[in-house]
Amino acid sequence: MTKSAASNRPTRRAFLTGVSATLAAPAIMRHTRAYAQNPVVKVGHVSPRTGPLAGFAEADEHVLGAIETIFSGGLENNGKSYGVEIISKDSQSNPNRAAEVAADLILGEEVDIIVAASTPDTTNPVADQAEVNEVPCITTDCPWQPYFFGRAGDPAVGFDYTYHFFWGLEDVIAAFLDLWDHPDVSKAIGGIFPNDADGNAWGDPELGLPKPLAGAGFTLTDPGRYQPLNDDFTSQISAFKQAGCEIVTGNMIPPDFATFWAQCAQQGFSPKIVTIGKALLFPSVIESLGDRGDGLTTEIWWTPNHPFSSSLTGESSKALADSYVAATGRPWTQPIGFKHALFEVTADVIRRAADLDDPAAILDAIRTTDIQTIVGGVNWAAGPVKNVTKTPLVAGQWQKTGDGFDLVVTSNAPAPEIAIGGELKLL
Amino acid sequence: MSAADNHIVARASPASRIAAFIGVLLLIGLIAAPWWAGRADMRLISEICLYVALASLWNLLAGYAGLVSVGQQAFVGLGGYFLFAATIFFGVPPLAAIPLAAAAGAALAVPIAVLIFRLRGAYFAIGTWVVAEVFRLVFAQVSALGGGSGTSLPAGIVKGIAASRSLREAYTYWMALGLAVLVVAMVYMLLRSRRGLALTAIRDNELAATSLGIDIWRTKFFVYVISAALTASVGALIFLQKLRISPDAAFSVNDWTAFVIFIVVIGGIGTIEGPIIGTIIFFLLRETLADLGTTYLLVLGFVAIAVMLRAPKGLWGYVKDKTGVELFALTRRVVPKR
Repeated sequence: MTKSAASNRPTRRAFLTGVSATLAAPAIMRHTRAYAQNPVVKVGHVSPRTGPLAGFAEADEHVLGAIETIFSGGLENNGKSYGVEIISKDSQSNPNRAAEVAADLILGEEVDIIVAASTPDTTNPVADQAEVNEVPCITTDCPWQPYFFGRAGDPAVGFDYTYHFFWGLEDVIAAFLDLWDHPDVSKAIGGIFPNDADGNAWGDPELGLPKPLAGAGFTLTDPGRYQPLNDDFTSQISAFKQAGCEIVTGNMIPPDFATFWAQCAQQGFSPKIVTIGKALLFPSVIESLGDRGDGLTTEIWWTPNHPFSSSLTGESSKALADSYVAATGRPWTQPIGFKHALFEVTADVIRRAADLDDPAAILDAIRTTDIQTIVGGVNWAAGPVKNVTKTPLVAGQWQKTGDGFDLVVTSNAPAPEIAIGGELKLL
Repeated sequence: MSAADNHIVARASPASRIAAFIGVLLLIGLIAAPWWAGRADMRLISEICLYVALASLWNLLAGYAGLVSVGQQAFVGLGGYFLFAATIFFGVPPLAAIPLAAAAGAALAVPIAVLIFRLRGAYFAIGTWVVAEVFRLVFAQVSALGGGSGTSLPAGIVKGIAASRSLREAYTYWMALGLAVLVVAMVYMLLRSRRGLALTAIRDNELAATSLGIDIWRTKFFVYVISAALTASVGALIFLQKLRISPDAAFSVNDWTAFVIFIVVIGGIGTIEGPIIGTIIFFLLRETLADLGTTYLLVLGFVAIAVMLRAPKGLWGYVKDKTGVELFALTRRVVPKR
């Protein structure tokens, strides 16, 4: 063996240098999109398209279709036009699946921003994956307490990567107190809360309804948490009857409310006002209750009469709802406005981010958001805790008009900018 | 020379030798995955590994011990909750909590087994489901772990596994791969042991096995406790990846039992190969069709019906019947001396 042949053989040192260079290559050669011909920003979206929560995502196809048309021209960032690719995944209404698809979007599709909507079962697992995998995340359509405290959030610390806009329990309480302020109704309230993320938050003695209700002079009868998909509410109903409750409130899923409401009729319990969160949001649920759906009351986050317009298209709330009704022939639902607003915020963040390749810059853009969307102002500097900002909330009643039911705003004390549409009728 | 001298009893066959060789190569490749695979691929492989483990354990129960349990989610959820409780309240490192979850699973499986082994057949199946529902309802009352709302694993705990994200991902990946290999190896060694012979006898005919002096209760008890322990370990690792636990997610009969039964039935019940092949088919279907929404679930149903009608012993059972091939050397056969 000659000397030159020996020196051609890879030495241990050369081998190590080569290997470490190869291993480090992905970190050094970070792909910078700003120089690409047609740079694309990837947005991951998770919602419950199928399963028991499907009502919340019923309008997704229509809203996302419209958003994609708007984005097809590209969004301008630092003088350069970026294409936006929205990759939508179905959580199947299952928190396990929501975590899986969020991880797929983050690790597989390598999305730059992940967004999610509708109930803690969707927003929380997605936000948890985003937090650990360090991807900016924006969520909506879930009261902020179950989102923030349900994820073991500490108001002093907050989260780094995950941001949320919606209303909170304090808003529901204010809206409901205003709704229940009626001379002919006594101040005895029956509270019915399930043992799930929303029910535990609403019924929480400190952060939920009980404390402010007592402060406002109401007596609350709370027979304790029931398991979701319960089929017998006799004990709750007799407790309410015994206490002489004239108002019933709570947070239920539609099948539980249908059972409860039918059993109230069978057992001769007829309160004057029934105000339930979550169960009474959708016209399809009210229609399924028949005549007993008339006069039920609920929280209202968005209606076609809200005095806001889209920052993307300039169209009014009414125009947005009308386009959905015209395209699908189905009645409008409240999530339409919020799904549109979610992408308004996303577009605003994409436009303002200092560097779309840097998650920290995207987070900076989220933190400094200040826009008027179709559901109201979104500005994280003004939130109750670091990662949350709130949109206005009112309350109202389902009233029968001809063949269908109409959701009418009947009280607006917490958000006077939203006009009242009619009088509250007692049941 | 008598005929007996010309033949020997062997377990290994050319097919099993080749399979073992390819298996070892494949394993080396998989161990090295953090160097060649992307983050998403690693996550997918670890999910596949966890399902291989769950399916192999269910197959051991149902396919060999005749214990058709539809309540294995009780132990998956238990392992998950154990991980959350141990790490949040007692500061146990997450990776250490995974083997500890096995101990917790075994400790709880003992009284449960004593209770539900009084039931047989369909009653046993329903009994296991009831136990799982009891677990779900009990954990829904534990407000320290979020009650019915569930809770998230604080990001600090996850980041405590390792300083860098890639190392963290590599550790959880190796844990998943290691667990799957451990489970398959355990099932293989168990079936080759004296107890395995008893199990095979029970699988083929319980009454005949009793008459040979096999203590059926003890054999089944042993299998039940072992698979409960390992299922709890798998559960802990599953929820370390999910980062969030709630009673409905932890004790989901769909995710942790129905899909697992689907996998085993499709792949071939009562074979070691079946659960592995079933898992691969399940993931092929899921990765290609899951975006179709309800259509995906319909396809799963059709596949299950078609396989059950055409190949009642599952795909591997069908191949085995036609060819006699066995990748894991279990069956003793008489072969001519070379």
